[in-house]
Amino acid sequence: MTTAALIHVVVSGLATGSIYALMAIALVIIYNATRTLNFAQGEMLMISTFVGWAAWEALALPLVVVLLVAVAAAALLAWAIEWAVIRRAISATHFDVLIITLGLSLVLRAAAGLVWTHDQFPFPSFFDNRPLVLGPVRVAPVSLGIIGGSLGLMLALGALFRWTRLGRAMRAVAQNQRAARLMGISVERVYSASWVLAGVVGAIAGVLIAPVVFLSSSMGLVVINGFTAAVLGGFGSMPGAVVGGMLLGVLENLAPLWLPAGIKHSVPFLLMIAILMIRPSGVLGRARQRKV
Amino acid sequence: MRRAALVAGGAVLLAWPLLVPRYFVFLTSLIVVNAIVAIGLNLLSGYTNQLSFGHAGFFAVGAYVAAVLTVREPALPVVLTLALAGLATALVGLALGVPCLRLEGLYLAMATLAFGFVVVEAILNLDWLTRGNDGLAVPVARLGPLALASDAAKYYLVLAVGALMVAAAVNIARTRTGRALLAIRESEIAAQASGVHLAAYKTLAFAVSAFYTGVAGGLFAFVVGFISPDAFDVFLSVDFVAMIIVGGLGSIPGSILGAAVITLLYDWLAAFQNYRPLFFGLILIGCMLFMPGGIASRVPRRTPPAR
Repeated sequence: MTTAALIHVVVSGLATGSIYALMAIALVIIYNATRTLNFAQGEMLMISTFVGWAAWEALALPLVVVLLVAVAAAALLAWAIEWAVIRRAISATHFDVLIITLGLSLVLRAAAGLVWTHDQFPFPSFFDNRPLVLGPVRVAPVSLGIIGGSLGLMLALGALFRWTRLGRAMRAVAQNQRAARLMGISVERVYSASWVLAGVVGAIAGVLIAPVVFLSSSMGLVVINGFTAAVLGGFGSMPGAVVGGMLLGVLENLAPLWLPAGIKHSVPFLLMIAILMIRPSGVLGRARQRKV
Repeated sequence: MRRAALVAGGAVLLAWPLLVPRYFVFLTSLIVVNAIVAIGLNLLSGYTNQLSFGHAGFFAVGAYVAAVLTVREPALPVVLTLALAGLATALVGLALGVPCLRLEGLYLAMATLAFGFVVVEAILNLDWLTRGNDGLAVPVARLGPLALASDAAKYYLVLAVGALMVAAAVNIARTRTGRALLAIRESEIAAQASGVHLAAYKTLAFAVSAFYTGVAGGLFAFVVGFISPDAFDVFLSVDFVAMIIVGGLGSIPGSILGAAVITLLYDWLAAFQNYRPLFFGLILIGCMLFMPGGIASRVPRRTPPAR
């Protein structure tokens, strides 16, 4: 295999990896606030992308506005879910909340199917279709666009966590809820903000990936790759989520070159099982000490 | 009183194929098959608090082992086939369960979820054995000279195996092992401090749970007569979880009730394919918010549970 072809494979791997990383970040944001896994994250992405698409179909809006519509829909949906369902179960065990988000994912997927059918739809892209030619290397602009957009979003999130009051409050709640409450942080508001933020990250990921994979009610399954990415990097760690996502995307694209073709779909799952067995704390995570 | 009710219930179940149309006999067989899975899953999730989203994988292993065995060795008595299906699945359960000892909560849920996907992919790729996507027609089960071809015959097979499995589960739950598993659910640390060997019991729960699910998978293959990988997707695992959530975690009668409710709902909603996940999702959310103990917690008990 030539270097040029290898670069092409790696770049498109990084592009899918960026989406996995964004999913992983969204999961980690909610996990850090409420210590639960949001199974419905993929379906929230799917619904908000569909809302953006519906607006584009009906009003022929420019793409930037479509993105804003999707983001607004995601924020509203996430806020409503947190307020109407999750908050009522906040005293329940994590096990219960996990089942609730699982139920939510079924409901959202079925609802999307009822409104928009279970067909696939083409989604408008920000980027040109013609490959970018740099000497012998050919790269799809959409891959570069996804990578660039995702990195920009990640930097913005990093800044939010580091320098804003909300970001500090979220980090405090992730570290120690009781102490955070004693310092005057409204933990409930952080829960709600975390859901909204995770929804927004998902919506942006959805709008970025929809032109590549098509828009359909089953695109929410990407959440499983998001889990894998988050586990790879060490669940709970933001940089870990980014590294895990990129790693997963590249490995998934490279694996079929050496392994039998049928195995491509199993890569994320085999990788997840392997990493959980060998190093459950992930590549960048630290092993948690359990206090009795 | 209780004994009389049990005898009456047993008599009705035995006479069932004479009382109702064929389709309901088939449906009842499915309920019993699902109840066996639900009991197996409950022994793992309800008793030791190890949530599994991969039981469709175990179910598939059991179904395919039974089907392939019967294709290759048609004369094998069905009891032996089912036992082998259960044992093979239990081995797979051990292979997954031992490394999973390190995991808890969310991580375990994710690992088992991944396991379910890997099993389906494996079935697709081993097409020389499983015929991949085309599916596998399962030959009629034989018991010595008897061919269990009719719905009624299959029903009696399922009922007999089901009764055995329920009796075994009740015994496991009532004895030292069951108490140890419940202790693990309440607090792993407290259980360990009281002398419960955590690793041994958690592994045991995994293997027993897989055994139950494997046997049920084998029965499913015979009852339905045709299996293909798409029948064992992740949504089947979710259905199994729904059964124990609706019925009640950590309750054997609850498992049976939950299996019956979900199987019947599934059947009634068959004409409304698109609404089915909507209902199931709402049921899951509703149960968790308003009835966390499932149906079993709403039935008043005359005797306090053994503690």
